[in-house]
Amino acid sequence: MKFLKKIIFFYYREYKLNLSGIQDILTNIIFFFVSIFIFIFSIGPDKETISFIGVGIIWTLLLLSSTLSLRKFYQDDFENGNLLIMHLNGFSFGFIAILKTLSHFLFVQVPFLLSIPIACILLNIANDKLFFLFASFSIGSLILSCLGSISSSMNLMNQRNFLLGSVVVMIFSVPVIIFSVGIINMEESFNSLLNILFGILLIVFAINPWASGLCLKLSLENN
Amino acid sequence: MIIVKDLTVERLDKKIFENINLSLASGNITILKGKNGSGKTTFLKTILNLIVPSFGSIYWKGKLLRTNLYDFYNNVTYIADKTTSLTKLNVKDNINIWKKIFLSNINDSQIEVALKTLKLENYLNQKVTTLSLGETKKLELLRLIIENKKIWVLDEPLSGLDDDSIELIKQTFEDHCAKEGSIIFSSHQNPGIYVTEEIHL
Repeated sequence: MKFLKKIIFFYYREYKLNLSGIQDILTNIIFFFVSIFIFIFSIGPDKETISFIGVGIIWTLLLLSSTLSLRKFYQDDFENGNLLIMHLNGFSFGFIAILKTLSHFLFVQVPFLLSIPIACILLNIANDKLFFLFASFSIGSLILSCLGSISSSMNLMNQRNFLLGSVVVMIFSVPVIIFSVGIINMEESFNSLLNILFGILLIVFAINPWASGLCLKLSLENN
Repeated sequence: MIIVKDLTVERLDKKIFENINLSLASGNITILKGKNGSGKTTFLKTILNLIVPSFGSIYWKGKLLRTNLYDFYNNVTYIADKTTSLTKLNVKDNINIWKKIFLSNINDSQIEVALKTLKLENYLNQKVTTLSLGETKKLELLRLIIENKKIWVLDEPLSGLDDDSIELIKQTFEDHCAKEGSIIFSSHQNPGIYVTEEIHL
């Protein structure tokens, strides 16, 4: 019961922190929409072309926007010693990675999820595809959070080249993009593609605590 | 409570410190002294099992520390040489968060008394970024009262504090030891705090 309380209060802390830094989340969403506008202006007014590549645009921008927030994933808590405090408060490094991944999903990815319907209107995506987009993004964004956790924890030991972490996330997110866009464009294969996406999620969700936990431990040891 | 036997830590084939022995019983205060870079923080982190020693072993309640780790963590408060308070939030929010995440049973009136003693009562609604170095340090030390644990592991707790605050810390240390608590802290100098053991690194 005590442990459960600690988890609840961990999220209370994350909520307070994210609320105080809400401008970062809003900036990410503004980046997302401004980029959509840039795509629309550069492609031109052809509704069919925009509609055809719209889902690809949304996914690419979601990926780019979520990599923008990666720097904050562990960096602040690492620098001010809060990762250490969490560990001393009874959370293993692997468990901290799981908690932080879910926190990233809740406070960074969910606002994007909520803004998808507006993006669909802008990109002339049919309403009936909205459900598929939601389904693929719900799973895909959790995969991106897991990949983000691994890359940012690796980056704690690399103070020179932060972009390396974003590159890692982008490379590993290629299969996610393929299957997520596939879900929307090939509705008849919805179940099989969703299962594959779900499979990828389970793999990265299983790897994440080990990989991130180890990187957190090593970076704190060498800090 | 804590016994350290022949502790040696090496990094990149360089010995940070070697053959350090320590016995920290209830009511004891140990001071770690040494120059900059002598390994004081490394020693404290090794005691907390964050750094694996090259040689030697650490025991907690008679068992190897790493086999009894979370019981040890339940009894220890670590104050690092940097502030763990969330600088974006105000003092009050930080205290509330600490009270919650450490499941502290300390009540509001006790917090009020501690804030008054530390002369922080007027800064409750101020963001931590606006506090001075000494005030931030005092806020950090408030965590000792909030966590209310038996063993205090403190890295440079006196740096940035004025004479009055150091006097207050001395008094707090004595009170803690009178309640069967133990303290291990690092410092360049000892401004008259009664210690049971001195370790030179």
